Amino acid sequence: MASLTIRNLKKNYGAVEILKGIDIEIEDGGFLVLVGPSGCGKSTLLNTIAGLEDITSGDILIGDKSIAGLHPSKRDIAMVFQSYALYPNMTVAKNIAFGMEMRGVSKAERDKAVADVAELLQISQLLDRKPSQLSGGQRQRVAMGRALVRDPQVFLFDEPLSNLDAKLRVDMRTEIKRMHLRMATTTVYVTHDQIEALTLATKIAVLKDGELQQFGTPDEIYNDPANVFVAEFMGSPSMNMLTVPVEEDAKGLFLTLTRAGGDALRLPLPASAAMKARIGKPVIFGLRPEAMTDPASADRQGAEILEDQFLVDVVEPAGADVFAVTVLNGTPLTARMKPSARVKEGEMAPFALNLSRAVFFDPDTQVRLR
Amino acid sequence: MIDRLQQWLPRLVLAPSFIVILLFVYGFIAYTGVLSFTDSKMLASYDFVGFENYAKLFGLTNWKTALVNLAIFATLYIVICSVVGLLIAILLDQKIRAEGLLRPIYLYPMALSFIVTGTAWKWFLDPGIGLENIMHLWGWDSFSFTWIKDRDFAIYTLVIAAVWQSSGFVMAMFLAGLRGVDNEIIRAAQIDGATGIRIYTRIIVPMMRPVFLSAFVVLMHLAIKVYDLVIAMTGGGPGRATEMPATFMYSYTFTRNQMGIGATSAVIMLMMIFAIVVPYVYSELSRGGRR
Amino acid sequence: MSGGTSQDVAIRGNTVTRIIIHVVLFLFAVYYLLPLWVMLVNSVKPLDEIRGGNMIATPQHWTFEPWLQAWSQAQIGVQATGLKPYFLNSIMMVVPAVAISTILGALNGYVLTKWRFKGDGIVFAMLLLSCFIPFQIVLIPMARVLGVLGLAGTIPGLVLVHVVYGLGFTTLFFRNYYAAFPTELIRAAQIDGAGFFRIFFRILLPSSAPIIVVSVIWQFTNIWNDFLFGASFSDVDSVPMTVALNNLVNSSTGVKEYNVHFAGAILAALPTLIVYVLSGRYFVRGLMAGAVKG
Repeated sequence: MASLTIRNLKKNYGAVEILKGIDIEIEDGGFLVLVGPSGCGKSTLLNTIAGLEDITSGDILIGDKSIAGLHPSKRDIAMVFQSYALYPNMTVAKNIAFGMEMRGVSKAERDKAVADVAELLQISQLLDRKPSQLSGGQRQRVAMGRALVRDPQVFLFDEPLSNLDAKLRVDMRTEIKRMHLRMATTTVYVTHDQIEALTLATKIAVLKDGELQQFGTPDEIYNDPANVFVAEFMGSPSMNMLTVPVEEDAKGLFLTLTRAGGDALRLPLPASAAMKARIGKPVIFGLRPEAMTDPASADRQGAEILEDQFLVDVVEPAGADVFAVTVLNGTPLTARMKPSARVKEGEMAPFALNLSRAVFFDPDTQVRLR
Repeated sequence: MIDRLQQWLPRLVLAPSFIVILLFVYGFIAYTGVLSFTDSKMLASYDFVGFENYAKLFGLTNWKTALVNLAIFATLYIVICSVVGLLIAILLDQKIRAEGLLRPIYLYPMALSFIVTGTAWKWFLDPGIGLENIMHLWGWDSFSFTWIKDRDFAIYTLVIAAVWQSSGFVMAMFLAGLRGVDNEIIRAAQIDGATGIRIYTRIIVPMMRPVFLSAFVVLMHLAIKVYDLVIAMTGGGPGRATEMPATFMYSYTFTRNQMGIGATSAVIMLMMIFAIVVPYVYSELSRGGRR
Repeated sequence: MSGGTSQDVAIRGNTVTRIIIHVVLFLFAVYYLLPLWVMLVNSVKPLDEIRGGNMIATPQHWTFEPWLQAWSQAQIGVQATGLKPYFLNSIMMVVPAVAISTILGALNGYVLTKWRFKGDGIVFAMLLLSCFIPFQIVLIPMARVLGVLGLAGTIPGLVLVHVVYGLGFTTLFFRNYYAAFPTELIRAAQIDGAGFFRIFFRILLPSSAPIIVVSVIWQFTNIWNDFLFGASFSDVDSVPMTVALNNLVNSSTGVKEYNVHFAGAILAALPTLIVYVLSGRYFVRGLMAGAVKG
């Protein structure tokens, strides 16, 4: 087992830049999730780590050994593919053993390793079947078995859960997490699903257009986003955002929010240097739905809470939560409330806004203002 | 980045095919093209005569006959094959229980050699022993069917045999097309109140446009290439009444020792086919690329 | 078309329209079967029964003499050998030509889909276009090249010709088939340490049975049925079946032995008909793949 380091990695297809200088380092035993919208370069990045695609410049190291230029089979990695990529003509056992067969491992050793992995993944009864006879979840397990049996330095996962139905996806997610806790093998995992990223990762790298937007722990990424893109991409429903000019009066800096119906609401701002520099100029004000809730659900520990009455525009019950939409400055904002709040469409209801969790961005550069 | 040999292997594997195609197809086309500008007779010569062969070719009665025959043959062959193919495909698509039995019957002629097809139809249409004789035996004494012996009508007997051979194939193409139509579109049309025949004429048949195009390209190029059927059925006769470009090329090159003219006619045939096929292949390939 | 089912469009007619549809389909079936019927019944009739009788009637006197004649006694060219030696010629020509062109096509299709390189599109376009050329355009130079190679008038010469002009089709079949084959499988095998040929033989080839059948049937049918190349490039002892049949039927001398001609025609048609009956589904697939490119 070893750490994985990606240094100023660039990848071009002709004149098109796919990866524009990526720097990532993940510690031994870490779980790195590459997340971003389709076309952001996350799968390309994974493929360059696997050696399935060339890099244009930069370096990739496992431990302190550069693997750039090595054949995929010589990098001491294992990969689980989106389509599972099980060899259709081979049985499950043969699928798992194929890599060992290629490396010239003896039949007896192969059989033992296959049996061990099969037991670990509870697929022993499937060993003689062909992939076409397996369900989606079973295929997923076999694909993991094929990777596990290599006992590699680094595991690579390319959107391994995207072909499963919703229920199974959650189960397998837990299983992957459990497996990682047990094996403690360095892992790189690609997904476009931000929930998967948040639940699995020890470190998340958010990518967009071949550029690293932010690299940090799930907590940093979620609560301390570096820019508008990261803030919007992570979290569901998305972070509420409003573009409002910064104003100043005797009591300090503030924003004015106009409620549906026309009356204004004063929103005090922290008196940071960055904010002062924006006086008279707009900022993007961002607040996550769970920081905008009914007074009873508000997390008041050390928080600055603003309570007031808001007109409820739409109510979307979602079982455990109720999403209440209210309109501020002509923009709909979503609040996450407990069903016990009993808000009704077209009526006023009390909202508690946790201003300690508000984040601000520069509308021109999209970068966070601190 | 992958090992050096591994990187070159794919090219090495493709190389023999590439070289063979480059020489035996495109090199040969170029060579025949060159010959068409020479005064080659029995043997190839490299005395260039410019466009003389082309001028001569289009002055030859036999070549004019061949072109007229090709026009008649290709038009009827394509139109009848398409109509018959589409008709059978639509009828077969009406949940016919015997479909599994009928479909192979419509298709098997495609597996036969044109020489076999030609032999069968040659004797079946022969006035002495075939269809005419049968009608006479059945008491229809005035029945006359002597097309295969008639200079003006022999070309139509080729159409009969060729349609027999190819229409099942067109039927299969249309049937695949019909079955590929999204069922929801048909349901929507039914909800809009369209009935069976109207669904076909207004919605399904217009959706078959790509199949018509594919069928046209395939049949047209078969028509231009047709050779064995003519040889087996009429031998180009009576007289030279069923001369086609393919038979013309062969006889001028190998029996009349006019290699220059033969090469010229081959070049014209190639140009006719490429004029149809190249745009088609190009559009199919670029469509595939956009997928 | 295999596997397709009728959709819910059946013209919701009454019994009368259903009957009309069935009658029309039946009449078409008669039209398609008629020549085969004529060949069959007349190949087992004595000659005078054909000349004097009804061509579509069943024989009054059954005789298998025409079949024996056609197979081993009929005068074709100079010698009275029947079609037997030519049938064998065709087999000796078809088997290697089909095998070689299919193997090459499979490898080409593999490279063109899974090991793409700059310029591979041009190679494929060249192969594809070669499927359509009128063979008249290559007859003259081919005759010379076969002479230079010392293959003129030989069966290996014919094999070469058929391999060259079949490559475009076989490559097309395998390319389209492998294009739908997940590239992730190739990547998984690379990570497992398999190289170019191992991936081909261990991963792709075992899954290629359907397209191999399509390719073999297509090539077999086309090469067996070829007449132009056989007529152009064969010599006395390498004449293929189709050419021999045509010589038998269209030789201008002597009495026209229709029954022998029909028996000979069936003999020439038999191998492809058997292949068709055994594997009609794949036969149709080959036809379609040949028609709808890309």
